[in-house]
Amino acid sequence: MNLANLLRHISARHIKYQKAQTFLALAGICLGVAAIVSIGIVNKSVLRSFEDSISVATGRAALQITGSQSGFPETIVEKVQDVPGVEYAVPVIETDGLLSRGKERSIMVLGVDVLIDSQMRSYSLSNESADIPDPLLFLARPDSILITKAMAEREGIALEQRIQVETVLGTRTFRVRGILNPEGPAKAMGGNLAVMDIYAAQMAFGKEGRVDRVDVSLMRGEELETVRQRILSVLPMGYTVETPVGRTRQIEAMLSKFQTGLNLISIFAIVVGMYLIYNAVSISIVHRRKEIGILRALGAKRKEIMRLFMGETLVISIIASVLGVGLGILFAHSIVGTLGRIISQWYARTTVTGISVPWFYPATGIACGIAASLVAAAFPVHAGSLISPISAIRSLPWSDEGFFTGRRLKIAAAFFLLLSATVFCIYKFAGFLPLFRNKTFLFSSQIFLLLGISLLTPAFLKGFLSLFHRLPTTRLGSMGMLAGLNLRKNITRNAVAVAAIFFGISVFVNSAGFVYSLKESVMTWLDAVIRADIIISDGHPSSSTNAQTIPMPVDMWREIEKVPGVLSADPWRKVYMDYKGRRVLLSVVDLIRRGEYSHFMVVRGSDREIRRLLPRQDNVVVSEPFAAQFGVRAGDVITLPTPSGVVRFGVVAVVVDYLYDGGTVSMDLNTYQRHWGDMLADQFSVRVRAGENIAAVRESIQERLGTDRKLYVLPAQEFKDEIRKVIDQTFMFNYALSAITMIIACFGIIITLLASVLERTREIGVLRSIGMLRKQVSGVVLIESVLMGMAGGILGSCAGIMTGWITLEGASYSSLVQYCVPYGSIVWAMVMSVGLSALAGLYPASRAAKTNIVEALTYE
Amino acid sequence: MIEVCNAGKTYRQGTREVRALRNVSLDIGRGEFLSIMGPSGSGKSTLLNLIGGLDQPTTGEIFIDGRPLHGIPDDELTLIRRRSIGFVFQFFNLLPILTAVENVSLPLLLEGIPLAKIRPQAFQLLERVGLGERAGHRPEQLSGGEMQRVAIARALINDPAVLLADEPTGNLDSHTSEEIFTLLASLNEKGQTIVMVTHDRRAAAYGTRIVTLKDGALSEDISLGVDAT
Ligand SMILES: Nc1ncnc2c1ncn2[C@@H]1O[C@H](COP(=O)(O)OP(=O)(O)O)[C@@H](O)[C@H]1O
Ligand SMILES: [Mg+2]
Repeated sequence: MNLANLLRHISARHIKYQKAQTFLALAGICLGVAAIVSIGIVNKSVLRSFEDSISVATGRAALQITGSQSGFPETIVEKVQDVPGVEYAVPVIETDGLLSRGKERSIMVLGVDVLIDSQMRSYSLSNESADIPDPLLFLARPDSILITKAMAEREGIALEQRIQVETVLGTRTFRVRGILNPEGPAKAMGGNLAVMDIYAAQMAFGKEGRVDRVDVSLMRGEELETVRQRILSVLPMGYTVETPVGRTRQIEAMLSKFQTGLNLISIFAIVVGMYLIYNAVSISIVHRRKEIGILRALGAKRKEIMRLFMGETLVISIIASVLGVGLGILFAHSIVGTLGRIISQWYARTTVTGISVPWFYPATGIACGIAASLVAAAFPVHAGSLISPISAIRSLPWSDEGFFTGRRLKIAAAFFLLLSATVFCIYKFAGFLPLFRNKTFLFSSQIFLLLGISLLTPAFLKGFLSLFHRLPTTRLGSMGMLAGLNLRKNITRNAVAVAAIFFGISVFVNSAGFVYSLKESVMTWLDAVIRADIIISDGHPSSSTNAQTIPMPVDMWREIEKVPGVLSADPWRKVYMDYKGRRVLLSVVDLIRRGEYSHFMVVRGSDREIRRLLPRQDNVVVSEPFAAQFGVRAGDVITLPTPSGVVRFGVVAVVVDYLYDGGTVSMDLNTYQRHWGDMLADQFSVRVRAGENIAAVRESIQERLGTDRKLYVLPAQEFKDEIRKVIDQTFMFNYALSAITMIIACFGIIITLLASVLERTREIGVLRSIGMLRKQVSGVVLIESVLMGMAGGILGSCAGIMTGWITLEGASYSSLVQYCVPYGSIVWAMVMSVGLSALAGLYPASRAAKTNIVEALTYE
Repeated sequence: MIEVCNAGKTYRQGTREVRALRNVSLDIGRGEFLSIMGPSGSGKSTLLNLIGGLDQPTTGEIFIDGRPLHGIPDDELTLIRRRSIGFVFQFFNLLPILTAVENVSLPLLLEGIPLAKIRPQAFQLLERVGLGERAGHRPEQLSGGEMQRVAIARALINDPAVLLADEPTGNLDSHTSEEIFTLLASLNEKGQTIVMVTHDRRAAAYGTRIVTLKDGALSEDISLGVDAT
């Protein structure tokens, strides 16, 4: 008997008659593949647009020198230019501006040396501005600006028109002296870009004497790495010299946090897909027991039976995977824009203009789809091939346990649980070995925990059902009894659906517990730290820490203090920097002025020491995550990179600080200005004179200072409320993730119940014939779905509490944060799991109720 | 007690129409044991399904104890099946997840009566069909004849006006078949109305009346009863 024959004559007919199952299996794999492909494509497209932005904006530059976020001294440019092998070293200012014109639009402002930058990048002006590229004329007028054609067209800006751009000095008017053709840098950022002379840009954006970047091109025949080393050797510590591609890699690393979540969804989708295939194949084998028996009796070998079913799976999986690729590309098209916006808001600036479909992702998708299907089918097919001719012809009961026997599962579960505990203990107690002390390591502990628990689902479901069976049978009557028994019949299959819910709920409870526990601590901390009455900041508190804002000149405090009713105003500055290869936050306060009314929450050390040792001296305090990450203690000395070289700072104390989970270093304003030469501020804390109305003072500050720039002037209480919202929002991504997993899980429930209803067609016919009402039939199915939802919800809540606790341990924000069980969210989780499963049960229930009795009774 | 008036049933398969039953009229009295005979495909099952309210006639009318079975809402029809009709099928059709006694209790469980209250009655019925010791067994642990007895006990639990059996021995050997027929005959002697489909002439002889179908129409109607003996 040959496979092609069997496939052609038997399988084709089955696929025709078992439309529903075939379709479900197909849909499952198709969706899984679509998820993989679309996520891959979206990721790639986002990264590509970064690369494009960077590469067009870098032109011929082979290396880029970057330093502190606040910029570094111009004198560096000459030093680099003198390095042998360097052809050109050109300074660049790269900063944000706000185009205030109708709807405000954030743009990138590039400040370049007009005279020599054309050696590095190509600019071409459109015809209408043909007479303009006289660099000297351009230079002579500091209000000159060039904008891209794309922006000019979109915003309706013409040549020689005045535009208003918000800068550090407030809103300034510029005159459009040229329109850039979409070529070179003008292609970057989707055209949201303006070019100025570097000197004018330095003035406008508070960077006098400093630059953000130096682009370097090499002499012909020089070797990149040699020149890079030479440049590094003339620069003080703390500078990065990288190829433009290297900068993309930094962004890639930033995106990885985002990608972990997305990859999790892809994996989850494929697992659900595999489950659907597993389901479809086992149902098909149950249905075709007789056929298998007959084929075997007619002389088909075991291997041939296996090949027949695997062959069918292969055909279906190929079709499904190809469809999935199409769907994935479609899906990528529709979400790439949104995702790009989210990413540029949260992580890094970009505009995603189009998607790129490298062959790699469709190929991976198809390979994964086919491989996953074959693996999933292998188990039931193997069991099917063991069917003997006799047992097939006599309708013996079918058990789906086969390979996944209870014992094996329990052993595997125990293994993973133990592994999870071990990994966690290593993380917790392995000291400060950076190899273990990272999030990936902790994350794997959580994954193992979830894996272990999900392997326990069949056992848990069994226990849950027997409990259910014992408790309220008398109340629930026939429907409850039947539902419980039906679920018990196919424990493995139902357990997988339960595991899917379990997973979604655990993600939800995990983040809920984390947020809940953290929020209280953060709010307590904020109350301790924010003692001012009014907060003035350059960005809305709800914009994340990384968002692009336009800082204010630090001297603004003098003007603020002139506002009637203001008692004092003092600045705060935040700058990100690299410390030992990780991003940390530098938080700068005017300790003398702020120390009068506010203090740190000290964990190790004393407030008195801080007041004594920090102002004007090279001393700092560090946050707990910083101390934990780098193994720093009070009394240690750390060396920080500054624009003028490496400086040693004494660590006076370890304090509570939730500003940035990567770690915070705080120092005095005077110390900062001395080493960084940066005269900007991001925030001012304002105290109001006793007896003055805070709202009124706020009004007058807004009136006096807010006309010239965009300012957020908020009473401290409102500011804190906004932060509370930020905390909630930060975890929206996690909530979204759990919502998606729950939806996929519901899909799993629909499939499971549908399969079970199809399988029970005849039974339903019998029940109907002896007088079961339609609503009773659907009631049984609904109770089944609710039971599955409940089991998944309970298990998921337990797992969520455990993983939430681990997450909190890992975040190590502060030793003061205690895990609190989020009871409210658990109630929600239960409502959600039961409600959504009931919803998912509706369709299978109505299918069951519509069963035609006479046909069902002859159904095999 | 059961009146079938000009009942017809047409199945539509795409454009093709199958007239499974044509204008059948039949009166079945209380206490009768009616056997329906006829070649395969003659419409026997179709007729039985109509009498049992599993299906609706395309034309004509059917009454049981004066109540119509046609043109009524599904829930009402279902309740009639539950309370007044007992079914026995060729393929036993027990629920594999339930034990024998639970299978027997099923129609009353559907009424919402707690199992504990039904159990003694179900047990009694199982004893009556000779399966007292098998009450706790699942269908897979029973032989074909035993399964069919459980099915008969299940059909009797609601004290039905009529017991309907569609080739109840079609899947059994001749010895076991005899036992089933004897059981049905003894039930009939105690007053149970029975309608049974069979194509076995000897089986039909257990009854009090035989009707024969041919191509969906009634072709013969013989009363055995007192005259025959
Ligand atoms: N659901 C159906 N669809 C189409 N034709 C049917 C259906 N059920 C029965 N038939 C046809 O109706 C006729 C009578 O069937 P049936 O009552 O089952 O016969 P019997 O029980 O006497 O063997 C047969 O020709 C059969 O093919
Ligand atoms: Mg028949």
